[in-house]
Amino acid sequence: MATANMVNSTLRLIFSEGVDAISGKEVFKTKSFSNVKTAATADQLYAISILLEPLQQRLLFKIERNDSSELRQA
Amino acid sequence: MAKKLELKFENQDGKVVTYTLDNPVEPVDAVAVQAAMDGIITQNAFTSSGGDLVAKKSARIVERNVLDIELV
Repeated sequence: MATANMVNSTLRLIFSEGVDAISGKEVFKTKSFSNVKTAATADQLYAISILLEPLQQRLLFKIERNDSSELRQA
Repeated sequence: MAKKLELKFENQDGKVVTYTLDNPVEPVDAVAVQAAMDGIITQNAFTSSGGDLVAKKSARIVERNVLDIELV
């Protein structure tokens, strides 16, 4: 059996910047917050994201959490 | 020019930890900024090299102006 041990976690807020005039594709801007505690819950990160959104002008499109885990033989 | 909202916190080591957001809403809603900072501390989901965030330090909007100089 191998075990996974989370070593790193990042919160990413993906904002919509509108539609590119030339390509017609939607443009996104990403804001990352590293140093997220590995023990942080989805509720905690969601609550923080919702508080940060109204402080800036872009539309919050998606909230992502990016975790890295180390796998080891148990 | 490009403006950024800087949220500054103090960690357990007494050092300043800064989080920035692009395109801040203006005029700034001081109540919303404080609520967000309080929320970040309350949720306690972020950490730093000097430990947890323990207190609000300051918040400010920083504007960067760039002037290109033409080279002949």
